[in-house]
Amino acid sequence: MSVSVLGQGKLADLLRDGVYSETRSAVIVVEVDGDRSISSIAQLTDAQIDEIFEQPMQRVIGALQEAYSMNCERIVVVVPTTGMSGGACYAPQAALAESARILVKSAARQWGASGITVNAVAVEPHWFAIDPSISGPVAIAPRSLGGDVSPVGLVNWLCGATSGDVTGQTIVCDGGLWM
Amino acid sequence: MNSRRLENRVAIVTGAGQGVGEGIARRLAQEGATVVIAARRAETGEPVVESIRSRGGRAVCIVTDVSVSESVDACVASSVQQFGRLDIMVHNAFMGGIPHKLEKAQIEKHWTLMSRTGVWASLFCARAAMPHLVASSARPKGEGGGRLILITSPSGVEGSANIPLYSPAKAAQRAIAKSLAREWGEFGITVNCIGPVAGSPALLTAFDRNPALQQAIEARTPLGRVGDITDDIGSVALFLASDDSSFVTGQTIICDGGSFLGL
Repeated sequence: MSVSVLGQGKLADLLRDGVYSETRSAVIVVEVDGDRSISSIAQLTDAQIDEIFEQPMQRVIGALQEAYSMNCERIVVVVPTTGMSGGACYAPQAALAESARILVKSAARQWGASGITVNAVAVEPHWFAIDPSISGPVAIAPRSLGGDVSPVGLVNWLCGATSGDVTGQTIVCDGGLWM
Repeated sequence: MNSRRLENRVAIVTGAGQGVGEGIARRLAQEGATVVIAARRAETGEPVVESIRSRGGRAVCIVTDVSVSESVDACVASSVQQFGRLDIMVHNAFMGGIPHKLEKAQIEKHWTLMSRTGVWASLFCARAAMPHLVASSARPKGEGGGRLILITSPSGVEGSANIPLYSPAKAAQRAIAKSLAREWGEFGITVNCIGPVAGSPALLTAFDRNPALQQAIEARTPLGRVGDITDDIGSVALFLASDDSSFVTGQTIICDGGSFLGL
């Protein structure tokens, strides 16, 4: 059974190609737009708040509702770690990422009785075109694991039958950059 | 306790016409701050002003709708015009929070008001206050120090089974605080959050209607009670507003008697 991947971009394409599950699942890649960093909060316009935070967040809510209506048993929401770390020049993007990540917990609490698990995967900011050097995490140590880090395996597991006791969690998959 | 730790400082507290905002305003005023009661309605804001003045404090009410950026800008501009400075911005006002099922939630009915008064308004307050907080931090040590304090909730960390869309609105405020803590560190401005559980009018009314709710909350709270808006929550805000917290930034202090221990 294929997995519905909601979202656009390189990461969504990677997950669309690589995630497979026999459990009905949906993966939501939150539309955090790192190409639109704000030089200072003083320069942030109301239109930018709407475009960077409000509209994508409303789409996250809609995507979760769509996943529920599709009778998905596994829902995974993918965000950058920037929501947990905060990001200079990325306040509205961080707000979106954290807002979506905590909505996962609310959904897990409400939908657990229906056998639905809802979890979040937090990945390196670069997947969302966010520059980690100015967004945080400001790590004293470099990333623990070298090489490319892919969330495909983790998302596959969260979409599968063996993760059925795991819900409301955030698993950071960034090679140990943010701890 | 009253040690005048905020003498000569000017603070704006949104949603200070009642509840947690009122408690914070009272506590800051007790310590010598001039407090702007930014309330949506003068009917709630003015009595708080009178009460603070009757105890020797300094306060004014500026009617403010935090969901409208121009209203926030006008509040900040008027405050600075009247008092010459702004040192402390506390965004507490928040509206919405109707219990709902997430799968049936409607954006207009269950999300928009919380997003506007929580997320958007946090950014409005930050944007309007920033130049004045920078100026405050540029003053000699002990004479200033820019502070932005956002009032969030334990639900913004742990999610909510009853009001699922309340949690993301509150979570966004923590992310904004962390982001601005990074962004404004170079100016010496600190940005922090408080996650209170306190005896606001809304909660006390709920207790009156449902005494079992009060018993349930107190039973799960290690300290066995809900917080007092002035002595408990206001004192945490005082710490974050004062020089005592000058090396604390980007943090959330959950002030709920120990009910939530998940950080």
